[in-house]
Amino acid sequence: MGTTTAPPLFVAERRMVWPRIRFPAWAVSWLQVGPMMLILSVLFALPTFLFLAVSFFDYDRTGIYPAFILDNYKDLLTTPSTWRVYVSSLKFAVIVWAITLGLGFNVAYFLVFHIRNSMLRTVLFLLCAIPFWTSGIIRAIAWVPFLGRNGAFNQILMAMGVTQRPLEFLLFSDFAVIVTYVHLFTLLMIGPIANSLSKIDPALIEAARDAGASRWRTMTDVIIPLSKTGIALGSLLVFTQVMGDYFVVKTMSGGQSASIVSMLSTEIQAMQYPPASANAMVLVIFVAIMVALMMRVVDVRKELVK
Amino acid sequence: MIVGGPSKAGAVTERKPWTFYALAGVFCLYMAFLYGPMLVIYLLSFQGENGGVTFPMVGASTVWFQDIVKPGQMANIPVSFSRSMGLASVVSIITVVFAVAAGLGFRRRFPGSGVVFYLAVASLVMPSLLVGFGIGLGFQFLGWETSMFTSALGAQLTWTLPFGLFAMFAVVNRFNRSWEEAATDLGASAFQRLRHVTLPILLPGIIGVAMGAFTLSYDEYARTTLTIGTKNTLPLEIYALISSATSPTLFAIGTLTTGGSFLAIGVTLVLVLRMQKRRTAASLKVG
Amino acid sequence: MDTRFDVELVSVSKRYGTTLAVDAISLRIPAASYCCLLGPSGCGKTTTLRMIAGHEAISAGDILIQGQNISELAPVRRGTAMMFQSYALFPHLNCLDNVAFSLKMRGVGKAERHAKAREFLGLVQMADFAQRLPAQLSGGQQQRVALARALIMRPKVLLLDEPLSALDPFLRIKVREELKRLQRELGITFVHVTHSQDEAMALADMMVVMQDGHIRQSGSPREVFEKPVSPFIAKFIGSHNVLSGPSGPIAIRADRCRLGVPGDGPFVSGRITAVEYQGAMVRVAMMTDLGPEAAALMPDRDFYADPVGPGDPATLVWAERDAHAMMEA
Repeated sequence: MGTTTAPPLFVAERRMVWPRIRFPAWAVSWLQVGPMMLILSVLFALPTFLFLAVSFFDYDRTGIYPAFILDNYKDLLTTPSTWRVYVSSLKFAVIVWAITLGLGFNVAYFLVFHIRNSMLRTVLFLLCAIPFWTSGIIRAIAWVPFLGRNGAFNQILMAMGVTQRPLEFLLFSDFAVIVTYVHLFTLLMIGPIANSLSKIDPALIEAARDAGASRWRTMTDVIIPLSKTGIALGSLLVFTQVMGDYFVVKTMSGGQSASIVSMLSTEIQAMQYPPASANAMVLVIFVAIMVALMMRVVDVRKELVK
Repeated sequence: MIVGGPSKAGAVTERKPWTFYALAGVFCLYMAFLYGPMLVIYLLSFQGENGGVTFPMVGASTVWFQDIVKPGQMANIPVSFSRSMGLASVVSIITVVFAVAAGLGFRRRFPGSGVVFYLAVASLVMPSLLVGFGIGLGFQFLGWETSMFTSALGAQLTWTLPFGLFAMFAVVNRFNRSWEEAATDLGASAFQRLRHVTLPILLPGIIGVAMGAFTLSYDEYARTTLTIGTKNTLPLEIYALISSATSPTLFAIGTLTTGGSFLAIGVTLVLVLRMQKRRTAASLKVG
Repeated sequence: MDTRFDVELVSVSKRYGTTLAVDAISLRIPAASYCCLLGPSGCGKTTTLRMIAGHEAISAGDILIQGQNISELAPVRRGTAMMFQSYALFPHLNCLDNVAFSLKMRGVGKAERHAKAREFLGLVQMADFAQRLPAQLSGGQQQRVALARALIMRPKVLLLDEPLSALDPFLRIKVREELKRLQRELGITFVHVTHSQDEAMALADMMVVMQDGHIRQSGSPREVFEKPVSPFIAKFIGSHNVLSGPSGPIAIRADRCRLGVPGDGPFVSGRITAVEYQGAMVRVAMMTDLGPEAAALMPDRDFYADPVGPGDPATLVWAERDAHAMMEA
């Protein structure tokens, strides 16, 4: 029994029997993602190109005409109301993002790190998620009786003696809009962040404590960097939902503010497709920039598909 | 100590740090914030006959619940409800099949996987109305009529498929490849492996995807509104109700739908948890 | 067909892109023997095992089982069965269904396959656990079920991927004995991958030491221990001193060395660096004047007759005939 031996005297002939059909691995994967890709390409990518095209079309009161003009964009970008609406939406988006981030991170942190019992954790998670399953519209308008002059909140405040007269600014104001957004979208932060946090090896935190890090330092130097993906994903979701919102601003601001999408919707209803498309394209580009920004912060693909 | 994970058996009960109480307080406030309006909905759905959509409560009655089932009027709730259920079921089934397949496909690196991934991300974050607009426009140009099971279905899928895909990532990550190798070793063909090993083990996750897709479809408004043509699903009907005449009927609907969701999710949860409990310990113990 | 050997590897290679994980190795494992593949992490032993099993495609070369070339066959057609490192018991099936799985895949009826599965569970003393789920079993129990599941296929060769690494030290020794006994009783070849030389020496009829995708030495444990062919082998096996001899490196077993005074026989002087009590033996490590480290393994009685401590000067002596000259560098 040495280390190398002469080849055996008789080698049975090779039978190519397996795998029966040789599919290269990449082909199998493409077969598996195929149906989804098909749907997304036809129903998402194509329509996007469609309104890219239509945004250059000409139009008048009677119809739209295929053309290549930049007028739609020009009109869009030179109208002060466009900028006003975008700035207003951005304003809401940033404020809501900040609040949902703070609130969402704390709740996620609490659930992942302070609740040991996994059954309890699941139940609490569900408690956060269940309201999500009632239509967003209904939840939004539920704030009206809550925040109104005769609403529950004012009644409570007056009963507690905090104020004498009902607070007017609660409803049909920026405040109401922001409160509603936070109510609707905090879950979008909690989910991804909790997912990221749960992937952190507890030993890392113990090691940080061993090395003398205070709780605060552990948070800033260990936990937050490791939950970057969740924060980025949650931020992206919240931002795009606020920017793309149609309903909340209309109802809760009492008509004082408009949203980008409601502007769009008006144009669509008036069958003014080219300017609507131009408007849509600007929003699309904006969303694309947000996604690109997020991707620079974190390689979402690597994190998720690990 | 900020340490996550299961508590060590037999450990001396530690006194919770102040952060626990602070965060627990935040959590409770959040729950109050979240459920406050919900309670308003539940309360006001029992609003008296002469009451309106705000407080005060003028007596109590179940008038508004009865109103739901009365057809005609401004909106037709039962019919739109059944439409919602039908559409949601179809969306759920298609999403499960396509998203599970895609999730399995992503287990290896394949050329072009980046494109697929980012397409899914884009489809997820794109403002819903834009997607609906795009599809509606496309259908118009092609001269086709938008309808529930063509354009609306497609529009909703652009939303549920990415969700399903990302949910599958989480599920598939926990899947141990050795199980499939063992199955091959024991003589399973690729199909047998899928049927007897891969899918049964992934089943809890798959059910989660199905439920998720169902709920997303059921509540979907923006993508559906421009692509569904003349017949409304429940969210659209509700919206019509709001713009025309706000009445506590809306709240009655809200109460019912929440109750329904509770029930459905509750049942699914019990099922899934039972499946998980038997198996989670296995993946922890082994290896 | 040559049936002296159960497994033959003929110039087998595994390539991953540009890296060569296994480099043209050839090996013949005699029929009904216990073969251990031993080596440090990354040496290619697990890859080799998986190529025999069919879970890894062979880049070049052939593998024969009982004279038949199985290189292109599906795992189930090769006559091999694998026991995975993580046991890989199906979490959604109870023990009985786990063991009966391979029969189910072949289309055997329920009653028959359950009966057979029960038989094999009995063979590994797990008959009482038939209805339990893997989650409800301890590590050692899971392993036995995994063994039953593999054996029910009546393999010609059983492949074990580090089966003992997940067990605690006491269980490890007990299970080791069981595996050896099982192999003798069944009369088939076991190919067992491990990184523990103790394990390999205790179990193997044939020990194959690998490094960097090559086989460095193969032979009976006794052969490898007494006549290592290279310093790598000597150091990996352990309990050897590798020193420079007149015509190249030499290896002397640590237990053949003792502390003494320079005399006619070979010796090397140095300073003691550590004294390690091991129960029956005491290991005295020292740094030699010429550089390399060395150690003497002596019975406790001998040590305590004249104990020394770290820092003391010492001389290592051994008999000329105990020094083994190593051909390779």
